[in-house]
Amino acid sequence: MSTEYVMPKLAMAMSEGTVSQWLVEDGQYVEKGQELATVETEKVSYDLESPNTGFFKLVLGEGETVPVETVIGLFVDSEAELAGLDTQRPAANETLVASDPAVDSLTAAVAPVAVQSAPVATTTAVTAPTATTATGGRLKASPLAKKIARDNDLDLTVVAGSGPQGRIVKRDVEAALRDGIRPISVVTQGPLVEKARIPFKGMRATIAQRMVQSQQSTASLSSGWESDITELLAIRKRFTARAEQLGTKVSVNALLIRALVYAIQQVPVANSALVGDEIVIYDSINVGIAIAMPGQNEYDSGLMVPVLKGVERMGLVEIDKALKVLIERARSGALAADDLNDSTITLSSTAGIAPPGMNTAPVLNLPNAVIVGPSTPKDKPVVVDGEIKVRTMMPVSMTFDHRVLDGEPAARFMKALHDCLESPELMLA
Amino acid sequence: MSLSKQQMALLFTNLVRANHYDKMMYRRMMQGQLIGFYHPAQGAIAPGVGACTFLNQDDNLNPHHRGHGITHMISKGIDVSTFLAEHTGKDTGCCAGRSAWHFSYPDHKVYQQSGFIGHNFAPSVGWGWAAKRRNQGQVVMNCSGDGSYGQGRAHEAMLFAQNWKLPLIFFCENNGMAIFSSAEEMHPLEDISSLAQGYGMPAEIVDGQDVFAVAEVAMKAIERARSGQGPTFVECKTLRFNEHDIGTPDLKGWEDRSEAEHEEMRQREPVHLATQRILADGILTQDEIDAIHEAALREIDKVETFADNSEIARPSEEELMAHVFAP
Amino acid sequence: MRTITLIDAIKEAMQEELRTDPDVFLVGQDVRGGIFPHTKGLVEEFGPERIVDTPIGESGMYGVAMGAAQEGMRPIVDFMFGGFTYVTFSECSVSTGQYHFLHGSQRALPIVMTAGVGTGQRLANDHAMSIHGTFAHHPGIKVAMPSTPYDAKGMFKAAIRDNNPVVIPWHMGIMMLKGEVPDIGDDYIVPLGVADVKREGADVTVLANSMQLQNALKVAEKLEGEISVEVIDPRTFVPFDMDTLLRSLEKTNRLVIVDEDWESGSFASTISARVMEQAFDLLDAPVLRVCLPNMPVPGGYMEEYVAPNPDKIEAAIRNVCA
Repeated sequence: MSTEYVMPKLAMAMSEGTVSQWLVEDGQYVEKGQELATVETEKVSYDLESPNTGFFKLVLGEGETVPVETVIGLFVDSEAELAGLDTQRPAANETLVASDPAVDSLTAAVAPVAVQSAPVATTTAVTAPTATTATGGRLKASPLAKKIARDNDLDLTVVAGSGPQGRIVKRDVEAALRDGIRPISVVTQGPLVEKARIPFKGMRATIAQRMVQSQQSTASLSSGWESDITELLAIRKRFTARAEQLGTKVSVNALLIRALVYAIQQVPVANSALVGDEIVIYDSINVGIAIAMPGQNEYDSGLMVPVLKGVERMGLVEIDKALKVLIERARSGALAADDLNDSTITLSSTAGIAPPGMNTAPVLNLPNAVIVGPSTPKDKPVVVDGEIKVRTMMPVSMTFDHRVLDGEPAARFMKALHDCLESPELMLA
Repeated sequence: MSLSKQQMALLFTNLVRANHYDKMMYRRMMQGQLIGFYHPAQGAIAPGVGACTFLNQDDNLNPHHRGHGITHMISKGIDVSTFLAEHTGKDTGCCAGRSAWHFSYPDHKVYQQSGFIGHNFAPSVGWGWAAKRRNQGQVVMNCSGDGSYGQGRAHEAMLFAQNWKLPLIFFCENNGMAIFSSAEEMHPLEDISSLAQGYGMPAEIVDGQDVFAVAEVAMKAIERARSGQGPTFVECKTLRFNEHDIGTPDLKGWEDRSEAEHEEMRQREPVHLATQRILADGILTQDEIDAIHEAALREIDKVETFADNSEIARPSEEELMAHVFAP
Repeated sequence: MRTITLIDAIKEAMQEELRTDPDVFLVGQDVRGGIFPHTKGLVEEFGPERIVDTPIGESGMYGVAMGAAQEGMRPIVDFMFGGFTYVTFSECSVSTGQYHFLHGSQRALPIVMTAGVGTGQRLANDHAMSIHGTFAHHPGIKVAMPSTPYDAKGMFKAAIRDNNPVVIPWHMGIMMLKGEVPDIGDDYIVPLGVADVKREGADVTVLANSMQLQNALKVAEKLEGEISVEVIDPRTFVPFDMDTLLRSLEKTNRLVIVDEDWESGSFASTISARVMEQAFDLLDAPVLRVCLPNMPVPGGYMEEYVAPNPDKIEAAIRNVCA
């Protein structure tokens, strides 16, 4: 008696998933609760726990993408049953073998944890100068090459073809299987010596797609100004002095988020999104927090935007604590799919990284209508009450979608944010 | 050669049987109880009966396609209950229901009924060649219509047969009509049999509505063939009462055949003519004639019951595939 | 074993079958005199009753065979040139192939049809065409063509003994090809429907027949050490020995079909399609066909434009192995 194990549907928006790595061997005896596989969706990767105890037959190959509810493994009670299992895979899985890898790589992002923890074996092979995709992005591989790859769970998109017109043929697949792990090769001779190559796939490709989509589909307008945060920093100091008592060392980011809440309460249209043919203005204030992530190698970077939800109902300390938990989960790869959903406004801070005083023009994080980008503050001489004084000035940038709100409300929102940053007592208002 | 009373009675009986069979086929076609199409023989019953009533079982016969050869085969003594079964797609059909009406009765030396008009001519040479080689007195009765003599194969067959003195009868049932086109329009000479002259083959023309006259001429030709004197061309001038096949308009050229033409034809109905003759000559009484009709109708009834009680032939594709080649 | 020519091997096959089976006879035009060597002299042994010359009329000539076969005899029809089958094609293909099936399997038609076919003589058109693909298209007819004297004798004997119509032309380009054949009276047949691996190889399978098989073998020899070519002779086109081909493809994963026939609707196309349908996953490269382009076969020195030859075969092999 075998029990089917299907690709779980982990979020409403999840239509398909990729097994980036099996964490058990084919046919291995697994305990209920044992980690079975690392599965990637467009937004996140998970380690799946086994729902059953028994011998586990792998059905789906690593790197293969299937619709949710598709059988990806089988549990059986005995080794005899295991031996008797038909090794043929369900037809549903076959359809993806020939699917367009270019599209796949855009829709099935590789989450950062997967990139870090998945053994390079599944994704690494030979990348030769010959292109394997023809015009239109179709993978060119011989029927035999496809079959061998399928039988060995080899992702053909990372195999270079040496046949006519760059077709992947048997010898290419055999070489990839025989040579196993091989670093992505670079050209080290001639006038153009390479250091490294970054596969344009996974998270890299997803970021690219999102950025281009944002730039092409919105009417974005960026502005920047400086806010005097001397007072704000003084208040923060009073909080940090009580860190032990509060259980957290309140961060500037928490204060920034609190200031956003104030500004949104003054100008609600800034907390909105264009959904279909309506602009939806939210009561909930869910702040997307842009977080830099490690990339595919030391030269690559990544970016994720987990969402801190319901900040309008939170006090400063609570915001700070929740923010830190969220960042920690992002860095440890423990984000759930829901952590990436439902932002209403975005905060993208380059403070501490960018040169002091730099102004940015952040790209809108769709579908949010506003993204706010504070950067590294700088002590500057400024005129206060007719006198020149040294104050700490923070450059703040904002990009808004002019389709959703006009210059007047945007300016009012920026003014409200500015006021709250300069007069943090407004947070108490 | 004059016919005996017994021979005349046999010819008359076969004429009646053939006529009722053809009418039954016509009726069933109109009732939607036949597969494919049917080319009725009404008006042209006599030639087949006259040609085939006195054939031996081991003589070869190519039946004309009118009536799908029923008049010929019923007269040759073939049990034609499987003929209707074949026409209704039943597994008891003469060809296991596979042929529609492109059938074969090889045990009676009826090898083929082809949709290619004139397709009898080439193999008829082989039948005649084999008969001559065996030298056991078999003959080949090769029946076809006026239209089929447009085929080059007809001329090859006449050439081969006369050249080799094959025991072959070129039995032309000339009803003057192809589907719509008339023989007078499509042939340079009025008599198709005049073609035989070019090959030095004897030819005879006979009234195809008179079954007794046809039989006399046929028997002469058969005798010539059996005795090794070679082929004879027999041309029967006959008629086609109905349209070419049921469902096709009854045209001559591109216009309807006239009512006057039909009226004239009806005067020459072969069963009617034969009945008059047989009564006049005192061959059979009216009671005997009535009994022949009743027996023929009972025979038809049995044929229909047999076909209707048979199963539709519907073997699996694999089973059928196994029959493409002979073992 | 002796060494004799392919055309003499065919003659011996007919001779031996004529001796053992009185129902066997040969019919054709000018076969008594022997327009080709394989019928020359047969009339002296078997007489004009069994070595039959007919007037020039292919329908009548074929009709002798067809009618006699319906009567239970076992004719061999010699069409002289393959193209001449077209003159009586409705009889020799459509009717002959279908009657056994259509007539409820009541009567087999054991007819052997043979003719000289192919390029190489610069004869053009109906004197240089192939017919195997055309006959293979029609159900109910076995189609075969020998490539060596040994096969020629064994296959002709098998064809004459077969209860079905068999079209078995021979290629004029190899009629004088010599090869080893068992002694006269040393009875053997080469069964129809069994392909033959004429040369073993590992990198690519070349399916070729008749004169083109000989060309393929030459190419395979030339490429030895560079590309390992397996050469398969189908011998029989219908029924086709798919198993032998698939076994070879499991090893080589590449296929070149050399078929001396127009490429459109050809036997090569049929096999190419079947390989795609039945063995898609075995292929490491597209199946390539070396056929005649769809151009009438010109005569004279232009024949080489269309005919498959070793250079074209080698180019195809290199292409699928690239």
